[in-house]
Amino acid sequence: MSKEKYDPYKGFRQLTGLWEKQMNSLLLSMSDNNEYIKLSNVGLQTHTRYLEMLKRNQEIMASFMNMPTKNDVKNVAKLTIQAEEKIDALEEQIWSLQDSFAAINKENMEFFGELVGITKQMKEELEKNVKELREAKKVKTDLQKLRKELSDLSELKAELQELRQELTEANHLKTELHELKQELDLYKMVENDEAKEKKELELAGATISK
Amino acid sequence: MAVDSSVKIPALDYEKEMKRWNEIYKILSEGDPKIEHSPRQMVWRKNKSVLWYYPAKDKKYSTPLFFVYSLLNKPYILDISPDTSVIAGLTKRGYDVYLLDWGSPGYEDADISFDSYILDYLEKGVKRALRHSGAEDISVVGYCLGGTIAAIFASITELPIKNLIVATVPIDYSVGVSPEKWLEGLQNGDISVDRLVDVYGTMPPPLVEAMFRTLAPINVSPYVSLMSRAHDSGYVDKWRRMDKWLNDTAPFAGAALKQMFNDLLKNNKLVKGEMVIGGKRVDLSNIDCSFFAVSSANDGLIAEGQSLPIMDLVSSEDKTYKVVEAGHVSLALSGLFAPIVDQWLASRSDKVEEHV
Repeated sequence: MSKEKYDPYKGFRQLTGLWEKQMNSLLLSMSDNNEYIKLSNVGLQTHTRYLEMLKRNQEIMASFMNMPTKNDVKNVAKLTIQAEEKIDALEEQIWSLQDSFAAINKENMEFFGELVGITKQMKEELEKNVKELREAKKVKTDLQKLRKELSDLSELKAELQELRQELTEANHLKTELHELKQELDLYKMVENDEAKEKKELELAGATISK
Repeated sequence: MAVDSSVKIPALDYEKEMKRWNEIYKILSEGDPKIEHSPRQMVWRKNKSVLWYYPAKDKKYSTPLFFVYSLLNKPYILDISPDTSVIAGLTKRGYDVYLLDWGSPGYEDADISFDSYILDYLEKGVKRALRHSGAEDISVVGYCLGGTIAAIFASITELPIKNLIVATVPIDYSVGVSPEKWLEGLQNGDISVDRLVDVYGTMPPPLVEAMFRTLAPINVSPYVSLMSRAHDSGYVDKWRRMDKWLNDTAPFAGAALKQMFNDLLKNNKLVKGEMVIGGKRVDLSNIDCSFFAVSSANDGLIAEGQSLPIMDLVSSEDKTYKVVEAGHVSLALSGLFAPIVDQWLASRSDKVEEHV
């Protein structure tokens, strides 16, 4: 006895495969002609006519017996399908409504977002303005202060001018005084000269009178 | 006394065989596996359609992902198991994911056309996803026929689509995996399904499955594969999930099916720029967002030639095309699609601020 295991199916499978392939090729080549096609068509049409007759008779019998036929059931089933199609169409319309609502909501949200943005911006602007106003007020106060100081300065300037004028006048006076002093000195000199002359004259008179 | 024989007879592995047949017995006796989905919330419901929201585990990207799956199959292939889920793979990578589950149209939904699917369901769903996420734009991912729908939607909508990803997408119907004469017959009117569709109203799942089955009428290899690997419980689990999904075909609204046959398969209007949806001409050159197309190399349903023309039709400057070694279903089933999407999308999605 051999240790090899015998597989009786292997060869059988191969043979069957070959046989099947050959038989199918044979049958197809035998049927690959116009006569076979025409004969098949005759068979097909005969079978069809037989079925048509059968169906017609069934309908007649069913109508006599007042029984619904497959065609009646078909018509009812079609109504259900139509209802289903209408529901589908409605569903699609609901979708478009949902979509348009969603689009409007989105637009609204965007609009609100813009509004919030603008409000925030306005608030910021307002705060900025308040700050600027405060600064402006401060500047105004400073300006007023400056103006006051400026007017003080003007007064000071006027006073200074007055002082200068007075100084000028004082200078004039000084000059006059100086002139007067000079005149006085001159006068004094003249007086001294006169006195001296008088003295000399007196001295000279005495001498003469003697 | 042991005798050495020159003839070597391989021994059967009895343990393995027991396991194999136990699993097969379980598959036959048990019901379909329960598909647990990733954590999700319902955002919107219309008729039978539901818009699901799969929140990111740790959100890295503020641009959410919106999955548009095919009308022919159920979208739970994108969230088939916790280990290989495409959606879980993307939520783990930091994306918020929205998935529009078209639901199973009933007899009363026979009038739902591509126009209704795109304008009344997809556009409204994307609007709701945008509103729910609060994102400015969105990345749209279309898989298989969902890719075709996503491309049509992207070319006519005013909604802000940042990125468009299409995977295994049929755009050019002048080529395909079906035999040539079938397509020719359909194009020149030798075969028409209009009347049949009118009778049924909404095509029941067995007929939709039969449409797929015509491309491969004999389909035994998945069952043989299962039998040969039934001892592997991981494979069995994956196989059962895929089998459940493959047999769970969605019914197809009649008006949309007629449009698919006439506008796309017969007249190839999408590539020609002649398709009209809601009064608007579908011009794929209107697509100028970042664009990514993924094709699978081993696709048995959508040929690469059907997807490739979209690269020339869109006017996006940023466009990428990638071929992945996978099949039409395995790209999603294996979860491989999530890292591929993430790799391309990460740099093209807005990042959440804390992750920047």
